[in-house]
Amino acid sequence: MNPANGGWVILLSLVVAMLFGVIHLPETWPGWLGWLRPNWLVLVVFFWVIELPHRVGLIAVWFFGLLVDVLYADPLGFNGFVLAGVTYVAWRFFERLRMYSVLQQCGIIFVLTLAAEILRVFVLGLGSERVWEWAALMVPTVSMLLWPLVFLFLLRIRTGARVE
Amino acid sequence: MTVESSTRLLDPLRSTLASFVSPIYIVAESPYLLSDAVGNVISTRDQLVAENQVLERRVLELSQISQQYLALKAENDRMRALLGSQARLPYEVLVAELVGVIPDPTTFQIIIDKGADSGIRQGQAVLDEHGLFGQVVEVGGFTSRVILITDRDHAVPVRINRNGVRSVAGGTGERDFLELENVSITADIVEGDIVETSGLGGRFPPGYPVGTVSSVVIEPTSAYAQVLVRPTAQLDQSHHVLVIFKPDPASEAESAAEDDGAQVEAELEADEADEADSGAVGAVS
Repeated sequence: MNPANGGWVILLSLVVAMLFGVIHLPETWPGWLGWLRPNWLVLVVFFWVIELPHRVGLIAVWFFGLLVDVLYADPLGFNGFVLAGVTYVAWRFFERLRMYSVLQQCGIIFVLTLAAEILRVFVLGLGSERVWEWAALMVPTVSMLLWPLVFLFLLRIRTGARVE
Repeated sequence: MTVESSTRLLDPLRSTLASFVSPIYIVAESPYLLSDAVGNVISTRDQLVAENQVLERRVLELSQISQQYLALKAENDRMRALLGSQARLPYEVLVAELVGVIPDPTTFQIIIDKGADSGIRQGQAVLDEHGLFGQVVEVGGFTSRVILITDRDHAVPVRINRNGVRSVAGGTGERDFLELENVSITADIVEGDIVETSGLGGRFPPGYPVGTVSSVVIEPTSAYAQVLVRPTAQLDQSHHVLVIFKPDPASEAESAAEDDGAQVEAELEADEADEADSGAVGAVS
């Protein structure tokens, strides 16, 4: 995430993903719509790692995750752990993942975001009375469905801004 | 994560980081702030006049109530003085605006636009114009995070306004219900009772409305009644909230003295007949 050589595009996209994570609908709309929010950060981080594995570091992502924790009011370290996990998986297999069809990539996204949701339930269970709800499965589903769009959009930005 | 779930060691780190991310909330909220602003600019003169009339009427009603309140408060304090208990101190409030909502649907937390720079500290009670709203759980430089009373992790000590039955109102994770915990089936609670903060535990100031009892279900098999309470605060509509500042214990004595002075003045204005009474109490104390 070095700002030089187009790195600011990566940073900006992550900040926009954070922003999308806290934009909320008008309060008069039904509350269950809140479950349809995809895990934007996982999508964006996954894209940058498989496209430019040398530009996104585990430590940097982990520290970025701390900011996300405060923003989403999650326990400190949770989002860092999730994003670092995603980075590691994507970085370890980036050559293979690039060759996958969009459908297969969608499958990977589903698995990663599902793992993040399950981990979240355990972590929150440590210090909170919140309970598992099946609606939490909507998050991986929506993330998976949005992946092709996010991928094409970010690819266009990447080629446009010549991020190397 | 483990450290944070069991200790408070990381709170300073959190508040520092919060100062960095708070602009993101404000950007995310900007469509609503903008539409409010635009709405204010383009509203017609007739609308403004009508609104003005409504507000003036409310001010009249409220000022009438507050006159009565001053007299009642003075009387109450005199009674408390007679009983030898400490007079209640007035609470100061700070108006704050909602600038963000925590996106997680399993929790109810909001972000307000006042933080450590306005002297806010963790644990302060938050009200809206209708009743108890929540409490401050995290303070950043310019923003604070407030957990609402309906959150599953929140509970507030309450009493029934009618007869003083005490209980604890816990959040249910539903938008419009709190539940009174461990109410015995013989407790005298009926539908429509007003539930207010009891002030036990010292975190919430006593006497603010929390909700009205909306249903009491007694299961023959259970030793506890299931009592649901509908919050009076408009938890999903209020855009302005009040943060309550507890009077500082250090300056308690002097502010109490000032308070007495203010009350006596108010009394003089409100009710001539009470004057002699107040003088008598003054002599006694």
